[in-house]
Amino acid sequence: MSTKEKLTFDVIVVGAGLAGSAAAVIAARNGLKVAMIERGQTPGSKNYFGGALYTHSLLEIYPDLWDRKPPLERPVTESGFWFLSKDGMVRATVQGGKMQNDPIDAYVALRAKFDAWWAEQAKGEGVFIIPKTVVVDFIREGEKVVGVVTDRPDGEIYAPVVIICEGVNNLLTQKLGLSKHDLKAHSSALAVKQLISMPAETINARFGLPSNNHGLAASVMGDVSMGLPGLGFLYTGTDSVSVGVGVTLEALTKAGIKPYELLQRYLNHPMIAPLIAGGRLMEYGAHIIPEGGWTTMPKLYTDGALVAGDAASMVNALHWEGTNMAIMAGKAAGETAVEAHQKRDFSAKSLSSYRARLEKTFIMTDLHQYRNLSHFLKTRPDFMDIYPAFLNDALGMFFSGFGKPKKQLYKDILRSLTDRRPLVKAAGDMIAFGRTIIGF
Amino acid sequence: MTQTKTAPQNDLPEVYIDDILMTLKYFTDEHETHLKIIDPQVCMSCDSKPCVQFCPVGAYRTQDGGTVQIAFQSCVECGTCRVLCPNSNIFWKLPRGGYGVAYKFG
Repeated sequence: MSTKEKLTFDVIVVGAGLAGSAAAVIAARNGLKVAMIERGQTPGSKNYFGGALYTHSLLEIYPDLWDRKPPLERPVTESGFWFLSKDGMVRATVQGGKMQNDPIDAYVALRAKFDAWWAEQAKGEGVFIIPKTVVVDFIREGEKVVGVVTDRPDGEIYAPVVIICEGVNNLLTQKLGLSKHDLKAHSSALAVKQLISMPAETINARFGLPSNNHGLAASVMGDVSMGLPGLGFLYTGTDSVSVGVGVTLEALTKAGIKPYELLQRYLNHPMIAPLIAGGRLMEYGAHIIPEGGWTTMPKLYTDGALVAGDAASMVNALHWEGTNMAIMAGKAAGETAVEAHQKRDFSAKSLSSYRARLEKTFIMTDLHQYRNLSHFLKTRPDFMDIYPAFLNDALGMFFSGFGKPKKQLYKDILRSLTDRRPLVKAAGDMIAFGRTIIGF
Repeated sequence: MTQTKTAPQNDLPEVYIDDILMTLKYFTDEHETHLKIIDPQVCMSCDSKPCVQFCPVGAYRTQDGGTVQIAFQSCVECGTCRVLCPNSNIFWKLPRGGYGVAYKFG
């Protein structure tokens, strides 16, 4: 201990991302003195995603969200799947109908802009932000976490509770023993993306959007990942399009494909290239998505510390959910810190109410339900290869089979499946996929 | 009906990653590298070199003799190299506060 006065807060939040700023503002709103430590130049500068944010989670933290003028891009008014074959595409997207909620459920966003604003809102409610600072270790008293060590000179900061929102590379979570191992190749997807700038009117015309207040989110399967377990995506921003692809590190390794070549191949696809032609590359980036979800979730609390967001593997890969889980988990962690201060008890037992809070939300239920998804894709590595291509062939034949006996047409369609996969195995795939989604 | 199963890998386009990286903004730490090869000898006997193959910014390059050199300045801190290194031979930490990649858009 130095002779200097110790820098002490009620709560330390590590990382000013979606989870961090949510946790911090909830604690500050309840009268606690909160320090939020961010390693980037500014909050958001290390964050890269598809992607869309979900209004239900934003409103959960700021009911007056719209008055605060969040820097969101287009609302997602059309959403769905694009199934790519080598030279074709089947689109299954939905618009209108149940997509027309007020507010719209999802908004396209750019994280460097959004997270900076998100942290600024927390600052407005009293959170003390410490940027350009890396947390490198914890200060412990026995087993108890009582603060953090940063990479600044005399960089110790004390608080009886530390909320770890460090992101996917959860080295601090591992350091505490909450996660027993580093990320695994089969449950970590590497996503690479290009942000491509185009005039809003061009985006409207090419994607069939009636105005700048309409947006598309497409989850792209099949040839986009060369049939590997993974997904492509395309999101329309206000005057930019985000196009990217994520594949598990294991699949990437087995196939021996460089991530940026896979992305460029997607951008060159005959169905995709015309949509982005003439656009200007504004930014490239890469980020790992912790797709293990339930199976790779660390222990969520220990004496004096909680974990939320990507660091806690809170991602539902199939539904592109993660940002909302991070925010909801951040809120639950903030509430838990408030309760711990009221009880003056920061033991693991006291902080275990964090898990109970999460169990009351969709987070734990969903992650448990989808716990076998990584395993499913691992054991059926050609799932994304066979079915999107078959769908393209089947519909392509159906809609071009004019003047042919239809009996022959159906035989041909069936054969385009059985050439790829025996019928019994295809049926097995569907049942297994169904079970994976239902969560048996 | 003829089917192509997995697309052949030779249909992958050639990409000049350095051109693409020009879009990225970095605050380069002139005094400290946050990535290091722990034992260069280990890399010489590593045939697969996933760090070289799969780093999304191509920061890892094979040198004559089979050692690996890291252009840590272009790292986007994703973690791929650390996760894939079969020999746990990469010392991986975050750049010092404020340094490293700074996404403008995200």
